[in-house]
Amino acid sequence: MSVPASTPALEVRGLVKHYPGVKALDGVDLVVRQHEVLGLVGENGAGKSTLLKALVGLVVPDAGEIRVRGEAVKLRSVVDAADHGIGMVFQEQSLVPNLTAAENILLGGEGPGVRRGVYRWDAMRRLAQEQLDKIGSNIDPLVRTDALSFADRQMVEIAKVLRIEQRSQHPPVIVLDEPTSVLESKEIETLFAQIRRLREFASVVFVSHRLDEVLEVCDRVAVLRNGQSVGEVAAAGAVPRELHRMMIGSTGSDDHYHENAAAVVESGQPRLAVRGLSGTSFQDVNLDVAAGEIVAIVGVHGSGREDVCRALFGAEPVTAGEIWMDGKKIDISGTRAACAAGIGYVPAERKTEGMVGPMSVAENMTLAKQRARCAGPFVAPGKQATVVDRWIDRLSIRTPGRDTPIQRLSGGNQQKVVLARWLVGGDIRLLLLDHPTRGLDIGARSEVYRLMRELAASGVATVLLADSLEEAIGMADRILVMNDGRVVSEVGCPAGGKPSPLDLVKEMV
Amino acid sequence: MPLIALLALVVALAIADPGFLTQRSLTAVARTAAPLIVLAAAATLIVLCGGIDLSIAAVASLSTVLLALWLPHLGGLATPAVILAAASIGAVQGVAHVLLRIPSFIVTLGGMSILSAIALVVSGAGTVRVVDDSTVKWLELYVGGYVPMSFVMALVVVALIALMLKLTPLRSWISATGYSESAARLAGTPVDLVKIGAFVVSGAGAGFAAIMLVSRQFSGGPTMADNLLLPAVAAIVVGGTAITGGHGSVWRSLAGALVVTLLRVGLPIVGVPSAYEQILYGVVIVIAVTLTLDWSKVSIIK
Repeated sequence: MSVPASTPALEVRGLVKHYPGVKALDGVDLVVRQHEVLGLVGENGAGKSTLLKALVGLVVPDAGEIRVRGEAVKLRSVVDAADHGIGMVFQEQSLVPNLTAAENILLGGEGPGVRRGVYRWDAMRRLAQEQLDKIGSNIDPLVRTDALSFADRQMVEIAKVLRIEQRSQHPPVIVLDEPTSVLESKEIETLFAQIRRLREFASVVFVSHRLDEVLEVCDRVAVLRNGQSVGEVAAAGAVPRELHRMMIGSTGSDDHYHENAAAVVESGQPRLAVRGLSGTSFQDVNLDVAAGEIVAIVGVHGSGREDVCRALFGAEPVTAGEIWMDGKKIDISGTRAACAAGIGYVPAERKTEGMVGPMSVAENMTLAKQRARCAGPFVAPGKQATVVDRWIDRLSIRTPGRDTPIQRLSGGNQQKVVLARWLVGGDIRLLLLDHPTRGLDIGARSEVYRLMRELAASGVATVLLADSLEEAIGMADRILVMNDGRVVSEVGCPAGGKPSPLDLVKEMV
Repeated sequence: MPLIALLALVVALAIADPGFLTQRSLTAVARTAAPLIVLAAAATLIVLCGGIDLSIAAVASLSTVLLALWLPHLGGLATPAVILAAASIGAVQGVAHVLLRIPSFIVTLGGMSILSAIALVVSGAGTVRVVDDSTVKWLELYVGGYVPMSFVMALVVVALIALMLKLTPLRSWISATGYSESAARLAGTPVDLVKIGAFVVSGAGAGFAAIMLVSRQFSGGPTMADNLLLPAVAAIVVGGTAITGGHGSVWRSLAGALVVTLLRVGLPIVGVPSAYEQILYGVVIVIAVTLTLDWSKVSIIK
């Protein structure tokens, strides 16, 4: 069966996907033409990952349809998607490191590469080479994957994905999820050459946070916001700022970040002073945060900022350096020591690390500061009720009651409980917020921002790893840029004198 | 759920053998169940933390030997000494689990083997007879003439552990550790101490169960409690405590222990030879775990 050239390779109509408390996809439309590189951009939480997962069958949408070459399909698994010629190169590489490139490329589909249960290495090499040839790669198929550079491993991934050509008799659709986030600029050039080569015999969906790259390599760019398609632009002649405005929309304007509520930072002795902190993935980090100040650390994936944040909470080993709080040197050998020093940490992974899902709102809220609900060694139910209800009220947490399991709450309310955990003790001096608004909708984000402002105004020092550059710029008084484990620059970020995202991006990569 | 199973079993047994609901056989059931209740309830804490203790029966066996050996020398002090020793064994295993970062399954599997061997060596590979059992005889008394003292003590142990959990932050700490250790750690919960504490309680429980066994048998033996491991694990999971951690309680293990004991006592009543007993435990454990497993935490079954 031949397909007219005008029929889109892939078409998405009105895709909807709900998660408890969040509408991840809210009627997304997307068209991928044949032999086209389509860019897909959007802020974190815009629905990109959910959409990609729906395309490769990892997520089953609640409503809407996906059409492949004009034909409506139901994708229930990665195999389903592969049968329809859709394959994805995952953000987290999915190769088995101690196998050869050939084994990885042919994994699960060795065909003549295996006879009577035994590898035929000559056949393996030949079959893998066929795949590698498609992308013009000169990687030795028999070299172990963990001996390859990151960029080469990505080539292996692409070669592996291209195997789906054999399953469907049509040009494949290849989805690349943030393929450049950890590549050097020279490697990026190689990757872009590959993508242009792919276009000859396939369609490509390219997802990246780096708008200039998207515009460089793509033919068209589609923009998602809050789970909806908000438009598309032809890449030729477009500028990043234009995309950016579409991504943020009107919500980015006015006082989304409550800038007028920014605390007055007092100079003098810093609340937190970090000197020469080194660990496995960061070196010689110096950092000062004053009481009431919000300092954002920005950096690309692999910059080490997450590990610095965890190290400050005693959750990541430190090899050298000193941490001072209010002029007193403190020893943070573990999370308990950090808690005792008045440090609180809100992890990025709310569902697995931030909260204990089946436990009640009250238990989650008092988990770190048991003294807030105890009289002597015993839990005092009356005291617990008073304290927990007060914070539910103060943070306007919407919950049926304090004994409701936290997993029944919406994402924003869960996050408020996790934040309240550090406030109930009344002894919080430093808050470490690792992507505190990840996965929250606009309204919930705004409430978290307001809460951050209030805490800062009450004198709490904050280290913020923001979900997006805009968030960092909007919330921070000062921004540190990390690159490859080191702090490379520091940018003042006062209300009224905010730096532009592009200036920061230059330092980050 | 476990209570319904318990009632159903009692009714079924009463129908199968009208003589079952007599004071004499109920007293016998209570007496048999006592050491199992203590073993299961104490080990429940480790399961709630997300681990498992396979060494409880071996600790209990060793403890019977120690008690029999120490009674002539220490007299009344032998009982607390044995409980202390068993608790220390638990502490050592807990510390090994936490510091060496070895799964509790492996630590206690190794511990089981080591402790069994120690029990054999210490006892000279034979039963150690207790000549003067005056200090442990009180467990063989009957409260009100019918209720075995050992059963009452087992209930006291369960109640004490349950109270400790209910009245202190321990319950939160243990649940958080069991449901999500990383979340617990990142909330500053003393995860390591909580786990070691659970091992100490589990060890002490095994020591106390050993005292009940000795008081009944007038002797200690290097394999005396070994056949209680499977029933104890079965009691915990039948009670509905999730083997994946977090969800459950010691009260459930009490109910589970009674169910397991009734099954054991009931098999001969309905005419099944006791040789089939182990099949029963195996089946019961698999079914109970299937029903209580927290599937959201298990994406890959190893």
